[in-house]
Amino acid sequence: MAHFALEGVHILDFAWVGVGPITSKYLADNGADVIRIESLARPDVLRIGPPWKDAKPGINSSQFFASFNTSKKGITLDLSKPKARELARRLVPWADIVVESFTPKVMRNWELDYEHLCELRRDLIMLSTCMQGQTGPNALYPGFGQLMAALSGFYYISGYSEDEPAPPYGAYSDFIAPRFSTSVLLAALDYRRRTGKGQYVDMSQYEAALHNLAPAIVDYFASGRVLGPRGNASVRYAPHGAYRCADDGEHERWIAIAVATDGQWRAMLQVLGSATRDSRFDTALKRVENRAALDELVGSLVRGHNSQELTKSLQAAGVAAYPVENCMDLHHDENLDAFGFWRWLEHKEMGHAVYEGLQHRMSRTPGDLRFAAPTLGQHNDEVFSQMLGLSAAEIDQLIKDSVIF
Amino acid sequence: MASELLKGFRMLDLADEKGALCGKMFADMGADVIKVEPPVGCSTRTIPPFLDDVPGPERSFYALAYHAGKRSVTANLDSADGRALLADLAATADFLVESHEVGYLDSIGLGYDELSRGNPRLIYTSIMPFGDKGPGRDYKWADIISWAAGGMMFLMGEEGKPPIQMSLPQAGLHAGAEASVASLLAHYPRQVDGRGQRVIVNMQACIVWTLMNEQAMPILHGDYLRRSGRFTGRADLRRTAVYRCKDGHISSLLGGGPVGAPSTKALVQWMIEKGFAADWMKTKEWASWVPGMFMELSDEDRFQIKDFEDRVQKFFLTMTKREIYEETLKRRILLAPVATVADIAADPQLKAREFFVDINYDTLGRTLRLPGAFAKLSETPIGPGSRAPRVGEHNRDVYCGLLGMSAGRLEELRARRAI
Repeated sequence: MAHFALEGVHILDFAWVGVGPITSKYLADNGADVIRIESLARPDVLRIGPPWKDAKPGINSSQFFASFNTSKKGITLDLSKPKARELARRLVPWADIVVESFTPKVMRNWELDYEHLCELRRDLIMLSTCMQGQTGPNALYPGFGQLMAALSGFYYISGYSEDEPAPPYGAYSDFIAPRFSTSVLLAALDYRRRTGKGQYVDMSQYEAALHNLAPAIVDYFASGRVLGPRGNASVRYAPHGAYRCADDGEHERWIAIAVATDGQWRAMLQVLGSATRDSRFDTALKRVENRAALDELVGSLVRGHNSQELTKSLQAAGVAAYPVENCMDLHHDENLDAFGFWRWLEHKEMGHAVYEGLQHRMSRTPGDLRFAAPTLGQHNDEVFSQMLGLSAAEIDQLIKDSVIF
Repeated sequence: MASELLKGFRMLDLADEKGALCGKMFADMGADVIKVEPPVGCSTRTIPPFLDDVPGPERSFYALAYHAGKRSVTANLDSADGRALLADLAATADFLVESHEVGYLDSIGLGYDELSRGNPRLIYTSIMPFGDKGPGRDYKWADIISWAAGGMMFLMGEEGKPPIQMSLPQAGLHAGAEASVASLLAHYPRQVDGRGQRVIVNMQACIVWTLMNEQAMPILHGDYLRRSGRFTGRADLRRTAVYRCKDGHISSLLGGGPVGAPSTKALVQWMIEKGFAADWMKTKEWASWVPGMFMELSDEDRFQIKDFEDRVQKFFLTMTKREIYEETLKRRILLAPVATVADIAADPQLKAREFFVDINYDTLGRTLRLPGAFAKLSETPIGPGSRAPRVGEHNRDVYCGLLGMSAGRLEELRARRAI
């Protein structure tokens, strides 16, 4: 039987959308028991987000939701009703950690905030994660990751110039913050083991994301310099960028190349069969200074090549290169395959589907996607009758009263 | 003051730019993080830009930011003496994080198998561009390689122009933070049964995870997304994600439905007040307006999306980023300025939460301002507590104080260039 790192750890998860659920997914995929409470008053918008099984929308057919909620159990409560909140509170003594990610007023209004919940369990660890933190003038800022990625500076440093912004795809900061929140929860669990003390964690996704911009922030405060967009230009590597290769039918093919040293530059020219002795490119400094001409030369040398084959020959010659992969390529990537990245799970309604696996591997207590995400209310019976000891008649009444839905 | 959160735990940090953030997070959480550097200093110290644009091992903003709170010792791993020092240090450590070429530390007798023999508690985390098994195991790396291999690069840029990365490369930061999570996951069972383990972080996988819902699209919907500059969506429906304004750009995705309707209603109300709304917008039922992807759109839908976006664009051009953001905060409109570091530095929200912290860099005769705590903890506050170290600044503290080496031996090792 597999032994997971967090066996025996219990999480009560009120979170929705990105950062909160991804945080509890880290814990769930490593063996923690996670019960997700989905509230009719605040339905998780990802449940209706694409992609969908067979490209048909449905509350239980979103892979967007399924991907962030593996290895968790799910129950449904309409938390706007006092009776539902009472049931949620009855689960708190079971929980080592409570996670929530609403705008700050929501849990307070429901009296499900830390002050109330730690009366039910003194050593509770609770994470509240929202856009801009629990305090401050913009605490109630409503938003989602696309906006946060702009607010926290990542959009501005993405583009060819100030007039040509080209932001990262999706809710970029939603994939920064969870690694910070998960780290701090795991450390807080250890602190509790040592001292018996739980605590409250207020994480602003904005503040966490700014750690991925730290050098530019320190620079600005020290010198006033504002880091701007600059395409693929680098002062450390030249050539440095994506270069168009031979297309594969209708599929555009590009290769990323980064050359740091003169030796790598000569090795690259040799692989590409170029005898150029252009003096504009004979030192690393000159290659950086003559970047535009350099990119033109490299572009012309690379254009007829197959990106996969060229990657192999450049890497064999000691030059950093890799195909610029599209989202289909990722599913056929030999390195991701060798790592065993893609995982197949059987979802109650979506059936057999492929998911992103973990990004790390542990030798002794490896985590895994243990089972597929819950359909809406999939574990209601298990939790309400087995854990809370409600009778079938009581549960029926709660359903009739729309407390459980 | 160092945090109490991970007080008493020690991490040896041998990571370069593929994972410097891991040790930084541990230091912020109160662990004793010792950078083990070659005598010339860790390669992160050569990353531009530099303070006052003067290169030097204590002047790289990257190193100043990501080594804050760490200690530094030097050990020349090309020498037997240097290798013995690292082995001795590892016997005292709870964590080790490294990002050397795959197999290098094993080849010099400092792999997990060797070090765990002397310290079975050790958690030994290796950050690798492509994992330890695939054909890419020994590939040369730069941050842009992970960005390309992980699929994010393909999605950034204009059609007809090359895919791009960000001006501040990100892959090493994702990998470093993932190394922090993974090391702490291994920590939990170790504190119960006393046994550490080997952890591998895969940088390519770290970037794939940033693709949100997009990786599954080709499998379920049959096509993959193409880059489209400041627009988003697919060829059948390009939506504006970034608008121009007087002094920069604004990020907003106009939508309806249960999430978007209140915001869109508020934006339209503001446009009505300022005379920028079309008549059709004044009576539109926004709660049922969901112009999403993969939906049948009527000609009217298409006209309205375009007309709305065109009018919003004209409206935003009359104001600055700050004017728009301040008003939308009041009106609860889903929108954000495309902020520069200057905007971020002046943000009243971050000021109110006292996010930035001043750290005395007496080495430079300067105070530098850094991002502070990545979370606020009620019992054990975290955050950077001290400056980044000089190369080998703590050789004496660590080698003599911690390992009990004599001052004479320290000098001898220095003379032999082992440290």
